[in-house]
Amino acid sequence: MRPTSAHPPRPDRVFDAGLQHERTALAWERTAIATMVAGALLGRWAAEDAAPLFGVLGIVQVAFGGALLAWAGTHYEELHGPLREGSSPTHPTATWVVGLATTIGIGAALALALVVTLNR
Amino acid sequence: MARTAPQRSWPGRPRTGRSDPRTVGTDPDYRFTLANERTFLAWVRTALALAAGGLAAIHLLPDALGSEALGLALLALGFFTAATSFRRWYRSEVAMRLGEPLPTSRLPQFVAYAIAVFAVAAVVLFVVDQAR
Repeated sequence: MRPTSAHPPRPDRVFDAGLQHERTALAWERTAIATMVAGALLGRWAAEDAAPLFGVLGIVQVAFGGALLAWAGTHYEELHGPLREGSSPTHPTATWVVGLATTIGIGAALALALVVTLNR
Repeated sequence: MARTAPQRSWPGRPRTGRSDPRTVGTDPDYRFTLANERTFLAWVRTALALAAGGLAAIHLLPDALGSEALGLALLALGFFTAATSFRRWYRSEVAMRLGEPLPTSRLPQFVAYAIAVFAVAAVVLFVVDQAR
């Protein structure tokens, strides 16, 4: 059956034989899922410790992980063309945002742990 | 093309150009760029796993001897790993673009030793805690 959607015709030669592109997309998706898990732990335990600010940060981290997961799928699709044309797939903004968001999330977890430990 | 990349401890936003590696050198093989990206993501996941372990030590074992110190140490190691992750990616990307040797780092060795020490400490704390 021929595809009737708006997708462009499939390429007729193998470009990325080592599946580097797909493996990188999966690495983004694993990272997004790990971000959501860490955010859920932060939110769950912040609620237990009655620390609503950290709870909100945990929820924000889960939302960020979800957005990152969605972006990773879109980015994977969008990168096929540029890769075949020989453009560099580097994405400094995404890297910077993820590095900073992870630092903030873990910083929040560290601050929560210090508050809880000192109040025990 | 500039031969030297801007050096900053915590890089600014890439759009400003200060930490966009594309301002120097030439595009390397796309596979190297993707490998560098995956390595960055692996460091981010390592940081998240360390943080999750630290939170778990504090919250799941509130009465265990030394669980708070162990948890705080894991969280601190995770924080440091996350805080240096972008910088590591950036330095590698710039080195690839300039055809220079990749920057060396003591962090993989340090993280491995630190986790080994934490694991031994956890065993000792568990034994002492049981003997109390």
